[in-house]
Amino acid sequence: MAVRIESKKDLTVCHIDGEIDINSSPAVKKSFDKLISQKTPKIVINLSKVTYVDSSGLATLVEILKNMKSYGGRMRLASMSPKIKSLFEITKLEKLFEILADEESAVSNF
Amino acid sequence: MKKKGIRFRSDSGSIRESSSRILKDIDSYGIGEKTGFEIKLCVEEAVRNAIIHGNKSDPKKNVLVSYWVDGGILNIEIEDEGAGFDHESVKDPTKEENLLRNSGRGVYLIKKLMDRVHYNEKGNKISMGKRIK
Repeated sequence: MAVRIESKKDLTVCHIDGEIDINSSPAVKKSFDKLISQKTPKIVINLSKVTYVDSSGLATLVEILKNMKSYGGRMRLASMSPKIKSLFEITKLEKLFEILADEESAVSNF
Repeated sequence: MKKKGIRFRSDSGSIRESSSRILKDIDSYGIGEKTGFEIKLCVEEAVRNAIIHGNKSDPKKNVLVSYWVDGGILNIEIEDEGAGFDHESVKDPTKEENLLRNSGRGVYLIKKLMDRVHYNEKGNKISMGKRIK
């Protein structure tokens, strides 16, 4: 698992590559801790290279969202594979997150 | 496929190892990518619960994973050496008030993605079934 962070104008795009599961979730959370401590206002997480997410991974994304909301930050998820999107639909997390089809639409008007 | 039983130690490496062994053994059934993904997820969630909530990560305790295919159904049983837990006490994670909670999604995903899920009375063994053929 790897996280690449890219700043684009007034927002930050994070590309996660690999699996977000019980083993990699602490590292994913750590990658976002700095952005959260800096009160980064807008983050787009590009999930196009994420091949697997388990309940620990979903909990980690919820945790990041909760931390961002605590200072008024906003997060968008983009480019999920249909398999991973189905997990957000089943668990109703789609109600909690702003989920966009691709990075371009997530970045525009954000 | 005849019944196989594998004993795993209560460590995090067992989570991936258990799903990999099952998926490798059912490879000849030609399951699709979506079904494979769902089986992997349910096995890993159940083994994780067995290690963490059942065995309390006690390295002296094991998790027994048994599986077989009968009539096109993949049957999986995962048993830990813990005191058992009441799966009915797990709050529905999809309710508005529970969406931000960090627990209950693993059990819920298993219920939704498997065709059959049953817990023994003690609560230390889950039996799951999924049609693969």
